[in-house]
Amino acid sequence: MGDNVRVGTRILYVEDDQRIRGSVKLALEDDGWQVDEAETGEDAIVNFDRQPSDVVLIDIMLPGIDGFEVCRSIRRRSDVPIIMVTARADTHDVVAGLEAGADDYMTKPLQPKELSARIRALLRRARPNQPGNPRLRFGDLEVVPSEGVVSRDGEQLHLTKTEFRLLVELANNPGKVFSREDLLEKVWGHGVFGDGRLVDVHVRRLRTKVEADPANPRHVVTVRGLGYKLQP
Amino acid sequence: MHRGMHRGMHLGLRGRITIAVALVGLLLSTVLSVTTITVARTTLLDTREDALTRQALANSETLRPEIDTSEAAELQTLLSSLPDGGTPSVIVQTTTGEPVSVSIDTRYGIDVLPSELLDRVVEGRTTGIMRFESEGQPLVAVGIPLTERDASYFEVNTLDDINTAIRTLSVTLMVVTAFATILAMALGFWSSRYALQPLRRIGEAAESVALGQLDTRIDYEDYASDLDLAPLVANFNDMVSALQGRIDRDARFASDVSHELRSPLTTLNASIGVLLNNREQLPERSQQALDLLDLDMRRFTQLVEDLLEISRFDAGAVRLELDSVAIVPTVRAAVASMGGAALRVESDPALDDVVIACDRRRLVRILANYLDNAAKYADGATGVFVERHQPDDDRPATVQIAVEDDGPGVPEAERGRIFDRFNRGDQGGSRGMDLGVGLGLALAAEHARLQGGDVWVEDRHDGGQGARFVVELPLQEPGTADEPDDADDLASVTREEAESFALTGELPAIRIEQGGERA
Repeated sequence: MGDNVRVGTRILYVEDDQRIRGSVKLALEDDGWQVDEAETGEDAIVNFDRQPSDVVLIDIMLPGIDGFEVCRSIRRRSDVPIIMVTARADTHDVVAGLEAGADDYMTKPLQPKELSARIRALLRRARPNQPGNPRLRFGDLEVVPSEGVVSRDGEQLHLTKTEFRLLVELANNPGKVFSREDLLEKVWGHGVFGDGRLVDVHVRRLRTKVEADPANPRHVVTVRGLGYKLQP
Repeated sequence: MHRGMHRGMHLGLRGRITIAVALVGLLLSTVLSVTTITVARTTLLDTREDALTRQALANSETLRPEIDTSEAAELQTLLSSLPDGGTPSVIVQTTTGEPVSVSIDTRYGIDVLPSELLDRVVEGRTTGIMRFESEGQPLVAVGIPLTERDASYFEVNTLDDINTAIRTLSVTLMVVTAFATILAMALGFWSSRYALQPLRRIGEAAESVALGQLDTRIDYEDYASDLDLAPLVANFNDMVSALQGRIDRDARFASDVSHELRSPLTTLNASIGVLLNNREQLPERSQQALDLLDLDMRRFTQLVEDLLEISRFDAGAVRLELDSVAIVPTVRAAVASMGGAALRVESDPALDDVVIACDRRRLVRILANYLDNAAKYADGATGVFVERHQPDDDRPATVQIAVEDDGPGVPEAERGRIFDRFNRGDQGGSRGMDLGVGLGLALAAEHARLQGGDVWVEDRHDGGQGARFVVELPLQEPGTADEPDDADDLASVTREEAESFALTGELPAIRIEQGGERA
């Protein structure tokens, strides 16, 4: 368990239900993570400002400012991986959470093993280590995987780590069609045939940054019925 | 299907109106025709009789002074000199012997005259007129007694021409009646279209409600002035509002329950996780208790998830999310991911490049439930088949995806019920403690029906021991409108995505955990 967990990796866990917070913290600590707790969104932001975390875990239903706002607020400060936790069934929580800048989402009841696996995947991909392909060019787009840099027309773009990892995954095999499942597995480390819409929302976010005209994407294009590819 | 049957057994409202109008048309034109024929016939006959009578009277006046003989030959000559009218005949009653009877045309002689008329004129000495038939020919005869020599004068005339005229008129009127009826039918059909327009609108609105468009209303203002329709429209709108309110409440309740249950479940799962991590430090009896707790916690979690999902179906809170799905690669990838890479997927080459419009997430859930079922009741699936089906050209083609196993199979009698909720079938409870409660197949059925598909179980096609679970989906080409090829389209899809996602997207996490543990 936790072989590849860096010692002292800090998770900021924002959850107002004390029993859930306590039990999940225990489980995560068992897996070797260091967990900072926050009961409210305000606490979380203060806490993050005092000591930035490596991963942030945010429950959407919070008293005071809600999880989306906390997510946006932290995203403005940092590109730290964020996982949203949702329990409500009849809202747009998931997509709204992803729109607010979350990298992944999980639904209650949380399974600690799965949560640990997702966190590990986020941390792993946050430090892409691609040998070779030092500089990839696609028309006006330039990707430097080793440096984590993307630029369009020479102007550097600011991508979150997930968006960057998604782009690099596509860019390493230009023209190859990736199904949503391929991308879920490679970028998010999801082990099961799951929900491709996590990919869809991220592709859309990515397009707004790398495409000159996001309505008519030239680089990241949809392959009808199959998935996405990077147009070489 | 239900509606089709009704339509077959009864005429529709419009049909009934059309037929009623046609019947009224038929009745009216028949009455008119019969009256016309009767009046025409009476008038023609009366006119003919009048003319004949006048002619006969005139002829008898001419004849009267001339009758001074009973010689047939002379009488014959006399009759020939009379102006044309009917066919004249004369009967002379001689005092001595047999009466002398002379006719200008032997066909219409004394023999054809009815005895009643003869009695009246010859014996009774009064003028008479009578219609009669002789050898199928309609005739009319006028008889006038002549005082001289006890004679009687008759004229016979055929009515054939009148009968022919009446027959022609009848045929004409029958044709007219038929035309009038058809015309009335067409008129009824056409006008009922307009009369039924509001009903059709209400029907369409009801259908749209049935399809989940709960905000459908009929514009009351359009019908406010119509005393018959206004209450119907108002009641319809009220009913839909009440329905919408109720569904919203149910959906909210399902959501609240979901939230209330998920929170403690999270605590329980996380705590059990911690205990499992430290299992070795527990006394043996506690370890056994912990294992039982863990197993049933998983079952309970799955049950809660399935119940919540099925309650959303019941509350009408589910939304269909049609994606463009390349069916064969999708099934292959899903099976490889959930059923193991070794599981064989055979596909119809005709489907290789086929992209259909279906709810991808629901399709995957159906497959997951089938594979899960095969794992529970057999030693896992033995094969997955993707086939194209089209029983005949009139029916739309479908895709059938079948999961086969080599388990005990499902007895014929159980096959209808196995997709019912909480029905384990006879095979239930036969194996271990990890049996589900039987919502998986019921959910598969809901997922399939929501997108116009169907599910069933049958014998394996290769005749082997085991079951073949089939899901059938319409082979429906995706429209180009929902292609998420550009950001605009994506943006428009996102709201619905969000709904469907949030409504039903919570399960993968649990499935992953369980799948992982089981494997």
